[in-house]
Amino acid sequence: MSNAAAPSAAPMIRFEGVNKFYGDLAALLDINAEVKKGEVVVVCGPSGSGKSTLIRTVNRLEEIHSGAVVFDGQNVHAKLGGSALNKLRSRIGFVFQSFNLFPHLSVLDNVMLSPIKVSGVGKTDARTRAMELLERVGLANKAQSFPAQLSGGQQQRVAIARALAMEPPAMLFDEPTSALDPEMVGEVLAVMRALARDGMTMMCVTHEMSFAREVADRVWFMDAGRILEVAAPGDFFRTPTHPRAQRFLTDLHAR
Amino acid sequence: MAMLSNIVSIVENNWLLLLVGQYPNGPLGGIAATLILSVLGIALAFPLSVLFALATLSPWRVLRWPVMGLVYVARGVPLLMIILWVYFLLPILIGANVSGFSTMVVALVIYEAAFLSEVVRAGIQALPRGQMDAARALGHSHLGAMRYVILPQALFNMIPSIISQFVSTIKETTLGYVINVPELTFAAGQINNRLLTQPFEVYFILAIIYFVVCWTLTRLATALESWIAWRRSGAGNTAVLAATHAVAAES
Amino acid sequence: MKGFDLLAILTNPSFVQMLVHGVKMTLIIFAGSWLLAMTLGVLLLALRMLPAKPAEWFVEIYVSYHRNVPTLVQIMLWYFGISSLLPNGLQEFLADHNGEAVFAIVALGLCQGAYFSEDLRSGLRSVPKGQWEAARALGHSYMGAMAYILMPQAVRNAMPALINHTVSLFKNSSLAMAIGVAELTHAVKEIENQSFRVFESYLVATVLYLAFSLFLMWLGERLERRSRMAGTV
Repeated sequence: MSNAAAPSAAPMIRFEGVNKFYGDLAALLDINAEVKKGEVVVVCGPSGSGKSTLIRTVNRLEEIHSGAVVFDGQNVHAKLGGSALNKLRSRIGFVFQSFNLFPHLSVLDNVMLSPIKVSGVGKTDARTRAMELLERVGLANKAQSFPAQLSGGQQQRVAIARALAMEPPAMLFDEPTSALDPEMVGEVLAVMRALARDGMTMMCVTHEMSFAREVADRVWFMDAGRILEVAAPGDFFRTPTHPRAQRFLTDLHAR
Repeated sequence: MAMLSNIVSIVENNWLLLLVGQYPNGPLGGIAATLILSVLGIALAFPLSVLFALATLSPWRVLRWPVMGLVYVARGVPLLMIILWVYFLLPILIGANVSGFSTMVVALVIYEAAFLSEVVRAGIQALPRGQMDAARALGHSHLGAMRYVILPQALFNMIPSIISQFVSTIKETTLGYVINVPELTFAAGQINNRLLTQPFEVYFILAIIYFVVCWTLTRLATALESWIAWRRSGAGNTAVLAATHAVAAES
Repeated sequence: MKGFDLLAILTNPSFVQMLVHGVKMTLIIFAGSWLLAMTLGVLLLALRMLPAKPAEWFVEIYVSYHRNVPTLVQIMLWYFGISSLLPNGLQEFLADHNGEAVFAIVALGLCQGAYFSEDLRSGLRSVPKGQWEAARALGHSYMGAMAYILMPQAVRNAMPALINHTVSLFKNSSLAMAIGVAELTHAVKEIENQSFRVFESYLVATVLYLAFSLFLMWLGERLERRSRMAGTV
C-alpha cells in the first residue's frame, strides 16, 4: 500500500440504502458502502453494472429514488437549495470519461474559471494556484493552449488540475482512461497515483486493474446494480469469492 | 368580437378575390397566382441551380467565376433591387412588353437559382469523398460520375432544403406588389382600398393565409427530413428495400 | 434612351443629397432593427428555457408566426393595420415623427428576433451535454454555467447563421420603401423618376447594397475567425 496517510475511521462518502430504477430496471439496488477519509476505492465490474451511475450520484449528476448519499457529513440528496447544492458540488472533485474541458477557454482559464466565479478567489491567487496545479500534472507549458490543441491524455490531466483547483477533500474519477488511446493511459494513471500518494481520498471507476492492484485500498465489485464484493485488492485478485467476480476476472485475463 | 365578425364578413365577401383575383374577368391573381409564381420560380430555378452548382464545382475557371459572381450579387443585393432591374432590362433585351407576372418569374428564377445552387453545392460536398473516387476508379468521367453517382444521392438528401426554399419563394412573391403583380398581397391591397376602414382586419387575414400555407409546407419539410434521416440509417434501408420488393411483386 | 452617364447623377447635388439621405435611412433601419432583434432573440431564448410550458408555447407560436409570414406582410400589418388600432394621440405623434421608419424598425426587428433566437437556440443545443455536467460538477449555478460556459460556446456555434441573418436583415431594410420610408431603394426610384436615368440610378444603388453586404460578410468572417476556438475547425 503506497498511501502516505492511513485511512482514518471517519467516512468521506457513505451510501445508505441507495436505490435507483430506470422503469422496472434496477440501476442501483440497496447500495450500502463507504469510502473512508484518505482511502482509495476502485469500483470495477462489467459494463452496465451501475458503477458509473453510482459515482455520479455522489455529486447528484444522477438522482436516486431512495436512500442517502452522504459526502463529508452532508446528505447530497437531501432537499437542498440550489446554492447549497452548488457549494457542495464545488467541494467534490469530478473527472469525466470524456474530459469535458471548456473548449472556448485556454487551459489556464479552464483551471482558473471556477475558483474565481464559484469560490470567489481573487484573480492573482487563482492564477498562481492554477499554474502550480498545471505544473503538478506536467502541463505548465501548455497553459496558453486551447483544449482542442492537446492530446486526450493531456486534456484529461488538465481536467484533473481543473477539479483540484476547487481544493476538494475528495476526487471522483468516472472511467478517466476509457476514452484514451492506449499510449496515453499511463500519463493519466501516473497523475492519479501521485494524488493517491499525497493522501487524497479517491473513488475511481476504472477498468485499469493494474492501477487497482497498486493503488487501491479496497476494491468494490459491482454487477447488475449491486455491490457484490468488497475486498482488499490483493485478496480480490487472488481469491475472488463471488462467482461473478471470478468470471469477470477470468474474462479480463482472456482479453 | 366586433373585429372577429368583421374578419368573417371580409372573408365571406372577398374569398374569390383572395383565391383567384379577378379571374376570369381579369388576370389570375390571389393565392392561385402566388402559388403558380412560386412553383414556376422554383421549378425553373432548380435545373438552373444544378448547372450553376456543377459550374462552381467544375475544374474550369471560366465556368466558376461568373456563377460565383452571380451568387454574391444574389446574396448581397435585395431581391427588390433585382426585381427592379428585371422590370427595366427585360423589355429592352427582348424588345417587347413584359407583364408584371413574367417579370416576377424571371426575377425569382435568377434569385432562387443562385441561392439553390449553394444548397446543391453543399449537398454535393457533403457526400463522402470516396463516392467520387470510387466512380472515377470505375472509369466514369467527371460528368459521368456526377450524373450517375453524386447527383442522385445529393439531390435526394436535398428534398427538405428545396421545400424550405419553396416556402421562401412563396414569401418572396409578395414583393411583386411593388410592380403591381396581381397576387395575394395585391388582392389584399385592393380589398383594403375598397373598405378603407378595416386595415387591421384585412392585413391580419392576409398574414393568416400566408401562415397556413407556409407553416403546412414547413411541417412537410420537417417530416421529410426525419424520413430521409431514417431511411439513410441502416434500419430504414431494409424497410425501403422490403417496400420496393413488395411493390415489385405487385406489379 | 440616353447614353450611359454615371456622373449625371453623381454630380447633381440634389440627387447626391437624396442618395446620402437614403443610405442614412437604410443604415438607421438596419441598425435599429438589428438591435431590437438581437435583444428579442436573447429574451425569447431565455423565455423558452423557463420551466413553464406556456412560456415555451408562446415562444414557439411567436417564432412560427414570424418565420412563416412574409416580411413585407408583417411590415404592412404593422404600418396599415396595427397603427390604426393605436390611440389617436399616438397615431398623430407617429405621423409627425417618421412613423413609417418606426414601424419598419419594429416590424423588421420583431421578425428577425425570431430568427436570431432560433439561431442561438440551435447553437446552444449543439453544445455537448458534458459541458453542462462539468459546469455543474464544479459548482457553477444555472446562471453561472449559462453565462461563462454554455452561452459563449452557443454564440460561437451560432455565428455563421447569425451573420447570414444579419445580411438578410440588411437586405430586407429595402422593404421599408413599400410603406414610404425614404431609404436607399426609395431614393433611387425617386432619382430615376426625376432623371430618367434608370440604369445609372439602379447601378448606384446596387453597388452600394452589394458593397455594404460584402462588408458585413467580411466583418462576420473576421469575427467568426477571431472567436473560433483554437484547434477546432
